[in-house]
Amino acid sequence: MNEFINVTLQLAEGFKTTLGLFFLTLLFSIPLGLLVAVCARSHFTPLRILIRGFVYIIRGTPLLLQLMIVVYLPGIAFQYPITKWPIFGGDVAMAYFYGALVAFVINYACYFSEIFRGGIENIPKGQYEAAEVLGMTKSQIFFKVILLQVIRNILAPMSNEIITLVKDTALARTVSVMEMLFFAEEILTNQYIVWPLFYTGVFYLVFSAFLTFLFNLAEKKLSKYWN
Amino acid sequence: MKKLFALLLSLIMMLSLCACGSETSAETETDSDYDYITGNGYLVIGITEYQPMNYYDENGVLTGFDTEFAQEVCSRLGVEAQFQIIDWDMKETELMSRNIDCIWNGLTVTEERRENMDFTTSYLTNRQCVVINSANADTYTDAASLASAMISAESGSAGETAVLADASLSTANYTPSSSQADALLALKAGNYDAIVIDYTMATASVGNGDYADMMILEDIALANEEYAIGFRLGSDMTARVNEIIEEMIADGTLAALAEKYDMTDLYEATLN
Amino acid sequence: MALLEVYNLQKSFGSVPVLKGVSFSLEKGEVLAIIGSSGSGKTTLLRCLNFLEKADAGTICVDNNLLFDGADKKLSSQKEIRKNRLFFGLVFQSFHLFPQYTVLKNLTLAAVLAAKENKKNFNANKTQILADIEKRALTLLDRVGLTEKKDAYPCNLSGGQQQRVAIARALMLTPDILCFDEPTSALDPELTKEVLKVIRDLKTSDNTMVVVTHEMEFARNVADKVIFMANGIIEEMGTPEEIFEHPKSPILQSFLNNALDFSGNN
Repeated sequence: MNEFINVTLQLAEGFKTTLGLFFLTLLFSIPLGLLVAVCARSHFTPLRILIRGFVYIIRGTPLLLQLMIVVYLPGIAFQYPITKWPIFGGDVAMAYFYGALVAFVINYACYFSEIFRGGIENIPKGQYEAAEVLGMTKSQIFFKVILLQVIRNILAPMSNEIITLVKDTALARTVSVMEMLFFAEEILTNQYIVWPLFYTGVFYLVFSAFLTFLFNLAEKKLSKYWN
Repeated sequence: MKKLFALLLSLIMMLSLCACGSETSAETETDSDYDYITGNGYLVIGITEYQPMNYYDENGVLTGFDTEFAQEVCSRLGVEAQFQIIDWDMKETELMSRNIDCIWNGLTVTEERRENMDFTTSYLTNRQCVVINSANADTYTDAASLASAMISAESGSAGETAVLADASLSTANYTPSSSQADALLALKAGNYDAIVIDYTMATASVGNGDYADMMILEDIALANEEYAIGFRLGSDMTARVNEIIEEMIADGTLAALAEKYDMTDLYEATLN
Repeated sequence: MALLEVYNLQKSFGSVPVLKGVSFSLEKGEVLAIIGSSGSGKTTLLRCLNFLEKADAGTICVDNNLLFDGADKKLSSQKEIRKNRLFFGLVFQSFHLFPQYTVLKNLTLAAVLAAKENKKNFNANKTQILADIEKRALTLLDRVGLTEKKDAYPCNLSGGQQQRVAIARALMLTPDILCFDEPTSALDPELTKEVLKVIRDLKTSDNTMVVVTHEMEFARNVADKVIFMANGIIEEMGTPEEIFEHPKSPILQSFLNNALDFSGNN
């Protein structure tokens, strides 16, 4: 029993990092994704091509590879290793964490941007025109008329993507971010106890269940407007 | 019905996982282990496939330093050597349950493990070494110069233990890596100033391919770990096998074996 | 002076001319019906009046205000257009109610947003302004006979009810001229009747209206003036009697024959 509590506490320590990575990724990738979606619809052709090409590259390569690029490439290609960047003040664990965060944010912003783009393009043109002839400004139209409809359109694909993110955080382990799986393997190699490795699944499951509950709630709330 | 079966199965798995996680106190054997093994006529040796200790050659024959070593010891004991591949994480359970009689597979001697098994005389040294980028050769010359450097080793490895045990290295900025290979790559990227890995791995990688501009700091002596054979706690086999190891050291059999597997320096380091 | 004066309006999509110089005028309180086959330019004309399309040339005047002049770029700035389009209201063929808002909020939304733009005044008289807007919305809902649906969401209304809400919404900003773009084309005959009744009722309260329609009966009975468009020009213009009883143009004659045959088969 003591062992169970000890292991739970150690894994919880790692789960804090997992959660930090999860929430910070969401916090930055959602606005960035919106910006990317807007740029991908830009009338300025060079920008549109650049952004769509970038999204294509990010979506077409594994997140694992992108993590390695962020963590190893600055040192190998530019002799400016990520751990030596002044902003991290010599804190290697922090350098790896934020390095991984950058890879996650860019990767998820690109996935989200495609969802946003689809959600925006699915709004009938008539909604814009109806608001326009009522004298609303462009920003009023977006925030008061379009946005909620976009949110409703993207809720299901977003919830999928966000629950995938919960599990994807485990990939950060490969670039030495001390998230939960890292701790479980630490327990395995140092204390020769196997079960914590599988026990981590409980943390992921509970958290996914919580998110699923939130998304169902949101869907219920939004579904009163639409059939 | 299928679902119920699956549920039961997963329940049993969970329980067995918890059970092997929580087993602790080993009971001291009262009967003679030597009598038990010679009575059986064979010694069951727990191994994992691990070059150069125990591995299958191109003809599918099990060979390796530990394999040949064990075969020789068994023939001198007058029993048959029976090799059993085990899950390394389950080795203590396997030993205690008498599924195997000993663990003989480049087993590192640690204080924690002493609580679960008896070790024979050490027969090899698992040597750790410091690797740096050659560009920094002037900056990092000895352990003291690394006192505030960024250092890594494989999490939970002998290298990590060596770093934490060393007076200078333990004050360095230490971060564990997930594997020795990752540590090498991160060193190449300059993410670390130095890494501590197995000497065998270091000599094999440093100087090759993209790692051509790395070097081993030969002068830094780290706390080494030693390999020994693990028997059940209180087993009288330990003493019997120790006698045979002494014989083999004396008649040069073990030295010849070390030379065959290119580990003479690791063998000689143990004798000193 | 007429309330609405349109002079020589022209519009092309790429190299395809859709309006080739359209001129007409409309007196206050009059109802103008625009008829014609698909692709004749009637919907484009309506969209130009509401600034959903920008005409290439020509002028639009309402009540002696010059709202559009193809030769004057200043009148085409976003700010000018926003101000000028409020002289017109538009009811769409497929309603375009905002699905996330109740019927009442659909009516009040634009008015409240407009009131908020005058921050100082809005903050000083907030309760009064909001109460006035709501009162006005309820009056209009009563006029289209949907008071009891004020808290319903659009998805729970029939097509006819949605179109009546859309009409009330267009009236909220007191446009000088209310435009309808084929308001009953998406509705079955039963629902068409209730929407046409609302439009007919509006006529008695002195609203000026421009109705693009396929309903010949309606055009004949309700309109004061009928325009028949073909190939981007006004082919014939006159009173309902002139257009329907004594059509001069051969194109109009064949159009009416087809239309009447069609309705005769019903």
